[in-house]
Amino acid sequence: MASYAARRGTNGVMMTLCTAAAVFGLIWLAIILIELFWRGFSGLSVDVFTKMTPPPGSDGGLLNAIAGSLLMTVIAVAVGTPIGILAGTYMAEYGRHHRLSMVVRFINDILLSAPSIIVGLFVYEMLVVTLGHFSGIAGAAALAILVLPVVVRTTEDMLLLVPDALREAGTAIGAPRWVVIRSVAYKAARAGMITGVLLAIARISGETAPLLFTALNNQFWSLNLDAPMASLPVTIFQFALSPYESWQNLAWTGALIITLAVLALSIIARVFGSQKESS
Amino acid sequence: MTLAADTRSVDPVRQRTLSKFATSDIVFYNLTRAAAVLVLVVLVGVAISLINGSLPALQTFGFSFLWTEKWNPVTEQFGALAPIYGTVVTSIIAMIIAIPVGIGIAVFLTELCPRPLRRPIGIAVELLAGIPSIIYGIWGLFVFAPFLQHTLQPFLIGTFKYVPGLSSVFAGPPYGIGVLTAGLILAIMVLPFISSITRDVFLTVPPMLKESAYGLGMTTWEVTSRITLPYTRVAVVGGVMLALGRALGETMAVTFVIGNAHRITPSVLAPGTTISASIANEFTEATGDLYTSSLFALGLVLFVITFIVLACARLMLARMKRRAGA
Amino acid sequence: MTAQSSILTAPTSIAIPGTRLNTREPKVEVKDLSFFYGSSKALKNISLTLPERAVTAFIGPSGCGKSTLLRTFNRIYELYPNQRAEGEIRVDGNNILDRSQDLNLLRAKVGMVFQKPTPFPMSIYDNIAFGIRLYEKLSRSELDERVQRALTRAALWDEVKDKLNASGLSLSGGQQQRLCIARTVAVRPEVILLDEPASALDPISTAKIEELIDELKTEYTIAIVTHNMQQAARVSDLTAFMYLGELIEFGETTSLFQAPREKRTQDYITGRFG
Repeated sequence: MASYAARRGTNGVMMTLCTAAAVFGLIWLAIILIELFWRGFSGLSVDVFTKMTPPPGSDGGLLNAIAGSLLMTVIAVAVGTPIGILAGTYMAEYGRHHRLSMVVRFINDILLSAPSIIVGLFVYEMLVVTLGHFSGIAGAAALAILVLPVVVRTTEDMLLLVPDALREAGTAIGAPRWVVIRSVAYKAARAGMITGVLLAIARISGETAPLLFTALNNQFWSLNLDAPMASLPVTIFQFALSPYESWQNLAWTGALIITLAVLALSIIARVFGSQKESS
Repeated sequence: MTLAADTRSVDPVRQRTLSKFATSDIVFYNLTRAAAVLVLVVLVGVAISLINGSLPALQTFGFSFLWTEKWNPVTEQFGALAPIYGTVVTSIIAMIIAIPVGIGIAVFLTELCPRPLRRPIGIAVELLAGIPSIIYGIWGLFVFAPFLQHTLQPFLIGTFKYVPGLSSVFAGPPYGIGVLTAGLILAIMVLPFISSITRDVFLTVPPMLKESAYGLGMTTWEVTSRITLPYTRVAVVGGVMLALGRALGETMAVTFVIGNAHRITPSVLAPGTTISASIANEFTEATGDLYTSSLFALGLVLFVITFIVLACARLMLARMKRRAGA
Repeated sequence: MTAQSSILTAPTSIAIPGTRLNTREPKVEVKDLSFFYGSSKALKNISLTLPERAVTAFIGPSGCGKSTLLRTFNRIYELYPNQRAEGEIRVDGNNILDRSQDLNLLRAKVGMVFQKPTPFPMSIYDNIAFGIRLYEKLSRSELDERVQRALTRAALWDEVKDKLNASGLSLSGGQQQRLCIARTVAVRPEVILLDEPASALDPISTAKIEELIDELKTEYTIAIVTHNMQQAARVSDLTAFMYLGELIEFGETTSLFQAPREKRTQDYITGRFG
């Protein structure tokens, strides 16, 4: 082994490099956030939440985009969550030792990190081509497919944390399996499962790629699910790439709104998740 | 004694309850099972719809689609080579930077950072990993690309002007946007992801193991490189591959800054395209079935690449988990 | 059936030599019962009979199969794959290992309390009401009364009557275990299985549980697994000593502890192994 001084030297160099890496990495991330807040805040006003997206060159807000995003998110969560919880329940409860669960777990993990633009292509083929036009419902479907694996994963993980002793106790009292799952296992895993849903919402609230050719965009106020629907991310995309300054400013403000929403959701999810241990 | 005798001794109310239980349990079981199967159906559906959508293109161009560079909507000549090349190169650039820096951050967070700061910084990194990619994209377009155009890119061009080989890698006017910029944005984007996953994995090393290594008089670096990293190697590689999967399929962060040019140039400063950027940029404007179908074929290629990468990543992470559980 | 076990039990009536209990009706009759975890045999041809309204203790070194045996009485092992029982277990004459046995019904009839307290993640009140509501539609006042009676039966009422809406998890370990007993009693079972119910508790809580067992046996048939021989001696009427998946000796508790017939029993109760 090298001399102690040499070893200490190597250690010093490597540790300095690690610290430098941390500083370097965190600085970039800090710069992005600062820039985002700086540019986004300057455009933040009541108009943003009360006016429609403007035609090129004039002023306006993001109301229709925000409404569209909210609507599609609500539908996606309303559809994706129950299916995800049921699938996670199968994997952790009824089918824990079945091969099907192993396969589903593997596939679900792949879906969890699969490129979201591919989901957009899938929904395009399934809904846009069949219906003949872009629509809010297609956008919601694409988002629901992104919600699904997140909820499946957290539901399964959280249910697996529920001790078997609790299931045995519920069963020993004469409760059928599904009552044990509903009244005992879900109750014990509730905080974690809510965390999963919140994280899923955080994930889809910034998704752009799968909406580009499902919901498309809409410059006007519309809550018609059978018609193209505006969304915040797609509006940001379109406005940012435009040559008009008012549009670009709105894009920054929209980006700030999304970031704040995502951060808020992640923090709430975190608080929920950590409450679990204390209750 | 038979069941009939048994049931006779049970009062009818309880009997009804019992049969209701049996029915509802079967219903619930089948519901959960159907939902689990649905997850499989979604993935299979994705695969089928991609194949179905890309059939016209694949029938027209055959496998040469994969190694044709030409992408001409006017003459309806399409080849995937440029987007594949751009996808791979941007991801390589991203990983070259993000892997060492990301692991460095993880080491910093588990070994060096003052204890009171570990949790807040760790949480901050995790929160950053959740920020939508469109934020990175818009920042890249308005801030980072102009910044590179005036600083790093002229510097690279000037420095390597007379170095054979490298002069063509860093050739051309500094556009700001281009392959290098996209790679760098991707690096920043996957950085928190790699850091947080690596940190989580590092935390699975049993404290006893590290303590006994320190007990032998090892330095922090020696413990990291000889104990922590070998112990967690498989999972770290798995985490890195997960990040690679993300980088390969990332759309928005790249689309803003890559320039969307279907050509392969040796210079990383020139505009290029990636698979996902091509799809995002051109899909709604694609006219003609062959054009749309070619974009589907690009999607299929991306699906296959990321499926393989992600499958490897998951298998590696699962191996680590099994060992930690054993 | 081994020669040994055929001495211990007769198939239909209870025949334990020299016992005061031979007038009692048999409640649970185990005949030639074997149990498998996958391919490994954990119980080997067990036969014995638990008399009605008496406490039967199962003792033996860890891994002897005493808990496994208990878990066959309500077929709780069915929750896991690759576990199966062969033979017969008759409760009131019905073979509960029969495929057509309704498991929920069986478990309502044969209650179980576990080693670690397992309060459900709900209020104290709901912990008790949960099981009652499953099979009975009661008015609010009837339900209140049933909950109170169960808690009183488990000697917990006075301690919790003012905080019935508090979480079951807020109670102390001993209280939690009595809550679990109350929960089991509330659904009016006929047999109660206790799987080392006091092993996770302090001595005072243990004493309370033992007192409780003594009271409960006036109404219920009780089977208790314990690794604590003094406890077995204190609470049980009959004791079964098991070793390596076999039933070695079964008889009246006082005689088993004072004059064991088997050498292995003697070795175990005098602390020579286990």
